Amino acid sequence: MLPARDPEVVAGPAVPYSYCSRPRALPARPKYRATLHAAEPEKEPVRYANLMYDRRVVRGNTYALQVVPVSTQPNPLEIQKQREARRRALARKRAKEQMQPRTPEPVEGREHIHVQTELYLEEISDRVIEVDIECQTDAFLDRPPTPFFIPAKTGKDVATQIEEGELFDFDVEVKPILEVLIGKTVEQALLEVMEEEELAQLWAHQRAYAELRNAELAEVQRLEEQDRRYREEKERRRLQHMQMLQKQKETTEKIAARAFAQRYLADLIPSVFNNLRESGFFYDPIERDIETEFLPWLMTEVEETLERKVLGRTMLDSLICTVVEKRLDAFSRKPLSDQAEAPAEEPRPTDAAPEVAGETDAADQPVAEKEETDQLVAEEQPSRHISFQLEESDQAGTEDLETE
Amino acid sequence: MAHARISASLPPDIDPTKAPIAFGKRALPKLNEELQSPELLTQQRALMALCDLVHDPENVYQAIEIGFLDNLKPLLLHHDGTVRQKTTQILYIMAMHNVGRQELIQNGVISALTELLDDPVDICRKHTHQIFEMMAKLPEGVVGILHASLIPSLVFKLKTESDEIQELILDTLSNCLRVEASEGLATGAVTILKEKLTHSSVAIRSKAAWVLLEIGTHPAGKSVLCEEVVPALVGLLEDPDPEVQAAATGALMFATVKPQGRFSALGAEAIPPLLKLVAEETSKARLSAIKTLTLLAELPDGRKTLLDHTDTFQQCLNDPREAVQRAAKTAISVIKWKP
Repeated sequence: MLPARDPEVVAGPAVPYSYCSRPRALPARPKYRATLHAAEPEKEPVRYANLMYDRRVVRGNTYALQVVPVSTQPNPLEIQKQREARRRALARKRAKEQMQPRTPEPVEGREHIHVQTELYLEEISDRVIEVDIECQTDAFLDRPPTPFFIPAKTGKDVATQIEEGELFDFDVEVKPILEVLIGKTVEQALLEVMEEEELAQLWAHQRAYAELRNAELAEVQRLEEQDRRYREEKERRRLQHMQMLQKQKETTEKIAARAFAQRYLADLIPSVFNNLRESGFFYDPIERDIETEFLPWLMTEVEETLERKVLGRTMLDSLICTVVEKRLDAFSRKPLSDQAEAPAEEPRPTDAAPEVAGETDAADQPVAEKEETDQLVAEEQPSRHISFQLEESDQAGTEDLETE
Repeated sequence: MAHARISASLPPDIDPTKAPIAFGKRALPKLNEELQSPELLTQQRALMALCDLVHDPENVYQAIEIGFLDNLKPLLLHHDGTVRQKTTQILYIMAMHNVGRQELIQNGVISALTELLDDPVDICRKHTHQIFEMMAKLPEGVVGILHASLIPSLVFKLKTESDEIQELILDTLSNCLRVEASEGLATGAVTILKEKLTHSSVAIRSKAAWVLLEIGTHPAGKSVLCEEVVPALVGLLEDPDPEVQAAATGALMFATVKPQGRFSALGAEAIPPLLKLVAEETSKARLSAIKTLTLLAELPDGRKTLLDHTDTFQQCLNDPREAVQRAAKTAISVIKWKP
């Protein structure tokens, strides 16, 4: 397809295609050419051709059509191409002729003539001796057997003879086969040897690698071991150190505690003694004795004495009171009765006084009593008359109550 | 029935013990069907053919896709020895490819193989142990083996099996115990391995030492190692074979991480042979020896002894491997450390 299109394509870009005309019906192409001397005036009616039967119309597949170039003027490019093609064809032909083996040119004085060999070829061999022999068969001999029917030769007889060395040269021919055979065998053997070598090398490599790996592993484990040992050592030392610190701390505390305790207890004995002394554990026995026994006794005695005195005074007071009351009564009632009561009243206080003396304790009290009564008497008379009355009335009341 | 074979006499290059393999994609499915046939001969022939095909990884992948493992698992318990042997061989070849390993783990073939540990046929057992060894190289394989509680039986087998199989068992154990050592310790593996340390075969000694190394990477294993094995390991340091030396030094390295191990190593006079190992330029054990000496130098006695030998470590600083240089530097710093 493509080569046929080429001229079109080549012609195309050179001239842009355009066509315009009024559409018209084409007249039929006359079958026979008009003669030169045909009379013009006879104009035959124009026969319009059927498009379908027009020879000028291309029918069928136009894909592989040889197209008439657009310009009648042959394209210089195309001409050149055709010229070149022609030249190439010529050259090819010439080369082919040259390649063909030819008989060499005739020698001087000779001429080569093509000869056709005879019908029957004769073998070129030693000259055959021909002898004419006649023979006559006997009359009464058996009919000889018919000879084998050998049909007449038709066709050409051809014979060849293969001499030694003409077909092939064994040594030359056998070389490639031998080479292949031996080469393949040797190659196979080499391959196997190489494989084994490769395997051995791989093993060696693997062993080396295994060694290296083991060495590295051992190194790793050694370092691990070292590390473990160091760590344990460190741990132990650390514990030791901690214990040491602990002990130190305890010792300082102990020292501090001891110093403190010493200081604290330095005052202990004096203060204890002081305290004891203050609380009265150390005492002078005589002093204590005096304090515990004598003085209370003294105080009680003094109290008693004082009580007695007080009693005496109260007694006296009451006496005086009664006396005064009676006197008052007496003085208030009648002046007669005064004298009778007055001596009756006088023995009463004197009665009362020894009674009072009888009531109190023995020793030095009478002396004190006497003193007191003297005092009482002395005291009475001046001042406490009226006040005594009330007091005595009270005291009498209280004495009465007490005696009751 | 029409047969592909034309004449009764077989062609010259065919192997009568193998089943004929179908062309292209049909090969494996046809073998799969033949495996399920009730006839013993067909099964055996199919197994032989499969064994050859399985060397190609693409076939392994295809076989797994088709679901060969479900047919192979019951064959493991077949009464015929050849069938079992071939099945284990096929599984071993499959286990050599990663796809195969993954599938074997997922299909729980490991637990099926535990029954074969006591198989009367030697080759079956050998193949079984080979499969275990292959599986143990993968972490998921180790997990599978641990789940199937194989470790006690493997340890037990160490005592009874032949040398080759013992090597395989030791390899398996070393990979498994690297991950999880408690089971191994529980079954008293250490005692058995201690005996193996004095075995006549070099490979067994080195592998046993390697297993002890792997046990030593776990802390529980370390204590067991310290108690029992350190003197034997120190003895192995003098062994003429470098592999054994390397493994023994590695095991010592892990055993001396713990203080008891260090004391027992010092008591067993480990320092002179270790110094010799460090002085050798090309020994494999150099790195492990330096590390072990570093560990021993953390003890005051060790440090005193090693202070005289610091020049050996100085030499190690010139080693081309960076790891050795680093290890030598740490060793020197540890020796010169003052508390």
